[in-house]
Amino acid sequence: MTQDELQALTVNKSVDARGTACPGPLLEAKKAIGTIGSGEIMEVLSADEGTKRDIPKWANKKGHEYLGTVEESGFFKIYLKKG
Amino acid sequence: MAKLCMGLFSGSLDKLVGAGVILSGAAADDMDVEVFVLLQGARAFLKGNENKIDNVAEAPELKEHFIKQLEVLNVPEWYDFFEMAKDMTNVKIYICSLAGKIWGGEKLEDFNDLVDDLCGIGEYLTAAEEADIHMFI
Repeated sequence: MTQDELQALTVNKSVDARGTACPGPLLEAKKAIGTIGSGEIMEVLSADEGTKRDIPKWANKKGHEYLGTVEESGFFKIYLKKG
Repeated sequence: MAKLCMGLFSGSLDKLVGAGVILSGAAADDMDVEVFVLLQGARAFLKGNENKIDNVAEAPELKEHFIKQLEVLNVPEWYDFFEMAKDMTNVKIYICSLAGKIWGGEKLEDFNDLVDDLCGIGEYLTAAEEADIHMFI
């Protein structure tokens, strides 16, 4: 998806994990994805560089779809669709 | 479900935090985990000892920096990692009975709530043999 498409997504769940280092954002993502339904969209806000690779790999392994990442100033937003 | 077997020989703060981070990753991946706490590790799991662990195994001259940065970066306490992992996935923690005896822990009730049972070395090796991932810390 393009950056514009990602920004325009309707998000069902937003997780702000900017206050934690690895493995905080991954754990937050894991906990939060259990609260949404299949096909719903979740965004994870993180300021931890390792998360950028970690969460997409985790999501694909767990059967969720990684939609893309949007860079903001000092953090980024990772978009996932629950499988 | 992938199986992780961890031999936790170390009882120093830096290695306990490292083990905790790895357990968190295993929990996020829904792995089945067995932790076998060996000689030096058992001291950290004695009831009431969780907060008393303040030695580091690597670069002891940089201990203050290490501990300060854990706080700055909002890193949970080592035992909180273990507790979180136990809440999220199937994690069993066993104390090697010899290790327990060295530090004055003979029975399950001598250890904190993270611990599931005491065990012998044979069970550890069998678990390592059957696991998809085995690590020794």
